[in-house]
Amino acid sequence: MIILFVALPLVVAAVLPLVGKVSRRVLPDLLANATLVFLLVYAAVTGRALIAGGPLLQQVTWLGEAVNIRLALDGFSLFMLVAVSLVGLAASLFAIDYMEHYGGKANYHALYLIMIAGMNGLVLVNDLFGVYLFLEVAAIASYALVAFGLGHDELEAAFKYLALSAVASAFVLAGIAVIFGMTGSLDFRAVAAALREIDAGAAVAIASALFLMGFGLKAALVPFHAWLPDAHPSAPAPISAVLSGLLIKVSGVYAMTRIFLNVFGLTPALSAVLMVLGAVSIVVAAFLALGQKDMKRMLAYSSISQVGYVVLGIGLGTPLGIAGGLFHLFNHALAKGLLFLTSGSVQHATGTRDLDEMGGLAKRMPVTAAANLVGALSIAGVPPLNGFWSKLIIIIALVQAGEPVFAVIAVLASVLTLWYYLLMQRKAFFGPLNEKWAAVKEAPFWMTASTVLLALLCLGIGILFASTVATWVQPAADVLADGVQAVTGSWGF
Amino acid sequence: MTNTWYLYVFFAAALVFAGLLGLLGKRNLIKLLIAIEVIGKGVSLLLLSTGFAKGHILTAQALVITFIVVEVSLIATALALIINVYRHTKSLDVRNLAKLKG
Amino acid sequence: MIVQTALLIGVVLFSVLAIALRDVLRSAISLAAASLLLGIVFFKMNAPYAGVFEISVVAGLITVLFILTIALTKAGDEVRESRLVNWVFPLVFVAFVAVDALVMKSLLGKVPALAAAAESGTFGEVLWKGRTFDLVGQIAVILAGVFAVLALFRKREKHD
Repeated sequence: MIILFVALPLVVAAVLPLVGKVSRRVLPDLLANATLVFLLVYAAVTGRALIAGGPLLQQVTWLGEAVNIRLALDGFSLFMLVAVSLVGLAASLFAIDYMEHYGGKANYHALYLIMIAGMNGLVLVNDLFGVYLFLEVAAIASYALVAFGLGHDELEAAFKYLALSAVASAFVLAGIAVIFGMTGSLDFRAVAAALREIDAGAAVAIASALFLMGFGLKAALVPFHAWLPDAHPSAPAPISAVLSGLLIKVSGVYAMTRIFLNVFGLTPALSAVLMVLGAVSIVVAAFLALGQKDMKRMLAYSSISQVGYVVLGIGLGTPLGIAGGLFHLFNHALAKGLLFLTSGSVQHATGTRDLDEMGGLAKRMPVTAAANLVGALSIAGVPPLNGFWSKLIIIIALVQAGEPVFAVIAVLASVLTLWYYLLMQRKAFFGPLNEKWAAVKEAPFWMTASTVLLALLCLGIGILFASTVATWVQPAADVLADGVQAVTGSWGF
Repeated sequence: MTNTWYLYVFFAAALVFAGLLGLLGKRNLIKLLIAIEVIGKGVSLLLLSTGFAKGHILTAQALVITFIVVEVSLIATALALIINVYRHTKSLDVRNLAKLKG
Repeated sequence: MIVQTALLIGVVLFSVLAIALRDVLRSAISLAAASLLLGIVFFKMNAPYAGVFEISVVAGLITVLFILTIALTKAGDEVRESRLVNWVFPLVFVAFVAVDALVMKSLLGKVPALAAAAESGTFGEVLWKGRTFDLVGQIAVILAGVFAVLALFRKREKHD
């Protein structure tokens, strides 16, 4: 039952405060992580079997009676579910140790599970308003999670994030209203079919613009990116990992992609706009990342840049471009999640995020340093790590489609990315050991375990990229490349 | 779309714009939240009038009601944030929240 | 339609007042008035359920939440708003309204729309059977709000 992806985390979340009264730490940790493990296994193992024959349309039944909830699972949504479960689990394991001194662990896990439920819900619904609703579920949980430490910076970041996000949601709803007005329906299939019938160029353009502004804000594409460099660093490390690794992609990129490619259909104009936005994000954010002294702030700008790659690849619209974009989405989720977690380890050990104050930490925290190196190289696109392959695919797709300018931009920005990541690695981990840190220890068990897990995945997927792409990315890319057919054809209820 | 729809959209747009202006210009945190509320009014008016013009008033109501529920959750969270900010800075001035550079 | 237009003008007026007034408490009450008028607008659009929600929840519950917060943050009135903003923004708003009116007039009849099938069922059926997953979403969002407030007001044993 795919509704479990939404129902299970919600039910566990609802129960957690009660459990928390009985057992402050152990039981909440156990319950939350067990839920995520279950979801990951369910998605990775059963999910593939479920969609083997094509998209799955499941009618939910409650106590034998059919309830009018129909959820659709296709290659793209399954792909996102796996990404969410994987990074979600890693960050949750990390939080077992990291969130110790924050207090209110049961509450933390509850909010976290609600955020996961929201993201899963977004990916499984098949009508426009459902996308908005679950987007808000995840967003509201994330505001509280960003502010969880209750320090001045966190509150400031959370408030600004909330304000901008509320504006984004308003734009999305406005777009939904316009579509509703034109087609009289909200579900993907009906809207896609209706839009074929009406000749609605300008009005769809208006709706597209509204969606672009709304989802662009959520995805932190330049010029809608201003909130991210404040929000992501201030949040607790596991939350930064999930926000940068998952939330901007699910509520921004997935929603935008699903609507633009499967419901509206990717027109040349839309493709051009997406590619330009992607390219601008890549370049601007890469330059902004260069001057950063705060480790997490640099990572935040890097996220904006890498999401640019994803949008560039998907915006290109060719099957190879889409595959590259999606693969990069996945790889970045893993790698950026990893990097935020290791930065959390560093912050936990040294109490600072300022790169200039660090130095030589590799001697005291070898595992963290190694994991961080893997993550950095992955995002910078160094073979044989996963990030290299996804960037390569995007660049090849650009060249094949006759877009050499974009390809050159992608390559050059990649060099820039490598530069500032190596800089970060050197400042924080290599070089002489700053005396202040002579006594720091390696991070606690769960924190290192989760980072090692993600690092191994980056390595493994890099080596086994061909089979990863074939099994997970290709089905998702096929759904998107099919365009409107994917929704009008096989989703007939 | 019927002509009355355009009238409603006119008002909805005015409300959203007023809210956006408020968000840009005001300094009191609570006022910023009120501005967000006004944007919400504009959006719910837009949704409902669209449904009205299509004859789908029931669906539109379901959407607006859900939207209002989301608003309540949002406002509750935001007010909780504001009260916490007040405890830290003893003021509601958004200029005190300028430590992070964005 | 005249009454509806007058009500809508009232909504916009009170909303603008809510943003512009200096005293935060009066702002909140102005917002409540705007919500009340909007609820009546909804009623006249044959949307009684939305109207009831707008009046009881937005004009009622949310206003109470605002007033509660205002009471808890007594120093609020000391925030001095920017003078420039107080002059420029009304002008910008009026300019926008003018542009808005022109744009709407020019768009009359230009947005294509499919002829819609008639809606069937009662409101209850549409909500419970037609948009069932939205109800799951509502539960989720309420849980999110509740836990958010709990998290933000939790007792801290020590301060970081």
